[in-house]
Amino acid sequence: MALLEVTGLRTQFFTRDGVVKAVDGVSFELEQGKTLAIVGESGSGKSVTALSLMRLIQEPQGRVVEGGVNLGGQDVLKMSDTAIRAMRGNRIAMIFQDPMTSLNPVFRVGYQIGEALRVHKGMNRKRAFDRAVEMLDLVGIPNAAHRAKDYPHQFSGGMRQRAMIAMALACDPDILIADEPTTALDVTIQAQILELMVELQQREGTAIIMITHDLGVVADMANDVMVMYGGKQVEYGVADDVFYRPLHPYTWGLLDSLPRHDISAKGELCPIKGQPPSLIDIPSGCAFHPRCPYAKEICRTTVPALVEIEPGHSSACHFSGDPAFRRDQVACSADMEAN
Amino acid sequence: MSELLRVENLVKHFAVDQGVVASHLGKKVHAVDGVSFSVNKGETLGLVGESGCGKSTTGRCIIRLLEPSAGSITFDGTDVRSLRGKALQSFRRDVQFIFQDPYASLNPRMTIGEIVSEPMVVHRIGTPATRRTRAKELLDVVGLNPEHINRYPHEFSGGQRQRIGIARALALNPRLLICDEPVSALDVSIQAQVINLLDELQDRFELTYVFIAHDLSVVRHISDRVAVMYLGKIVEVGGWLGLYDQPHHPYTQSLLSAVPVPDPDKQRSRERIILEGDVPSPIDPPTGCRFHTRCPIAQDICTATEPELREVADGHEAACHFAKPFPITAEAPAAVAGEGAVAG
Repeated sequence: MALLEVTGLRTQFFTRDGVVKAVDGVSFELEQGKTLAIVGESGSGKSVTALSLMRLIQEPQGRVVEGGVNLGGQDVLKMSDTAIRAMRGNRIAMIFQDPMTSLNPVFRVGYQIGEALRVHKGMNRKRAFDRAVEMLDLVGIPNAAHRAKDYPHQFSGGMRQRAMIAMALACDPDILIADEPTTALDVTIQAQILELMVELQQREGTAIIMITHDLGVVADMANDVMVMYGGKQVEYGVADDVFYRPLHPYTWGLLDSLPRHDISAKGELCPIKGQPPSLIDIPSGCAFHPRCPYAKEICRTTVPALVEIEPGHSSACHFSGDPAFRRDQVACSADMEAN
Repeated sequence: MSELLRVENLVKHFAVDQGVVASHLGKKVHAVDGVSFSVNKGETLGLVGESGCGKSTTGRCIIRLLEPSAGSITFDGTDVRSLRGKALQSFRRDVQFIFQDPYASLNPRMTIGEIVSEPMVVHRIGTPATRRTRAKELLDVVGLNPEHINRYPHEFSGGQRQRIGIARALALNPRLLICDEPVSALDVSIQAQVINLLDELQDRFELTYVFIAHDLSVVRHISDRVAVMYLGKIVEVGGWLGLYDQPHHPYTQSLLSAVPVPDPDKQRSRERIILEGDVPSPIDPPTGCRFHTRCPIAQDICTATEPELREVADGHEAACHFAKPFPITAEAPAAVAGEGAVAG
């Protein structure tokens, strides 16, 4: 059985302007020691998906209205608050995007890392601090015993993200959710952090949910990939399938929008025209139809279901699976339209 | 092709005024420390590097948003640093700037029509009526609906705001545009739209770009020539193809190897050079070659002598004592790799 099973997750926010359908029916599985990447542009619902798993959606303005999150036989969405607090940071831990704002500036780094150990493992201050030093050492902070007594502002960006990873891994969680963990970092530091995550995953067998917009990072880390658009899953499958045999026109568009530095010729960029939709006012039918160069009448009227097209590879497009429906059908039209 | 911009030995130091000891010792942040390059008419020069390498400071010095500490900047034959009054104003018509953050660089209380015509107001060009016509024209040029001229910035998305910033930069028919991370705040699909727009505008208005960014793939796509900066110095400069296919400087090599490629098989089999530690502080940069603390192939000479930029291939220069066209192997440099880890 999978370590984590998410079925039909729906999270909504109730605002004055209307209901924001941030996550609209998302299902996936995660096995031990594997990495699932959730890819999408801003506002596609990837972070809200992660926060829903951790039960971190602020009520009453936001609520998980439907769905199941099965973690080792227990439904996270039905757990009591006490049970949730025992799970958070213990069985599922999270790394946030911005290492500058996710550490408390007035506590020493070692004390903050030890907090989870004091709460979840009942360690005393001394033991928790010693363990925090071990964790800092594990994530490659030089002179850890000394640096654990520093405050966050004395750390560089890369070191803070390492400290965040140390904090997340302190209780040896089953699942690590990393929400854009390297977006705020320089590429050479990003490479260090990604390598560290892979190394720790291999050692501890942690499953990782990696939320990112960078398809390079996905190619580097992921076993499985889930592409999100407008709060919905549009494509889901093994990384190689999604990269080499993408099924959904949105995935095609994403891949064609990327400038590449690994190919000798300068390819032409084929941007997706228009803007991502507002989650309050999601287009009828397929949410992607206003931007899709292949859209037909049915796309405007009927919401396509996520269908398994080939074993372990599904797509939410009316035309996926049709052998005549191919990526190169519509030539790249350098669309200048901003609307 | 004729030269439009030449920067020679540009130096910009910022005085450290925080901390009693540091300010009394007269410590300085060596943000840019002897940078030289030239840009030809109609060309795009990419300036690439990690945060704190001095690329934005270089851009700001060129248009004199910052006064350089030393060095010379020549634009179309005139010495930019000596410009005063009317001459400086006319220079600023020719050179415009596109900023990184499309949310912070547009005044939220002005309509986009006012924003786009403001440069014309400042430089006393046209009447209110002609300025409005021109603003509409500019919005159309950057792919926005001219009818939206009376809307406010908050009504637009990030990509559209960046288009407004570009329209404003084009208002005075500049010849040189300094683009400081113009697409890094945008989503992938929108980023591609703006890059294509910049490409198209360059052809249409014969613009010259200095394109500052940290994303190596974007820089490669848009640039004719690329200069790689590290700690206030240019470490390698060359044509985009030569620099990306045959990087000679170990820093360029490790930078390129650190960018993940959106192709799982390729990414798995790529040889990666993971640099140890962080970039040293520009207040107290390392002696000799500034990269020696993190360099996998550093030798004694690197600590002692600073390498000069020297030609390694046609139109391709690198500042390394051991510049070699092939990527460094993973085994050989292991002996020195640990040194940089103390940084931070």
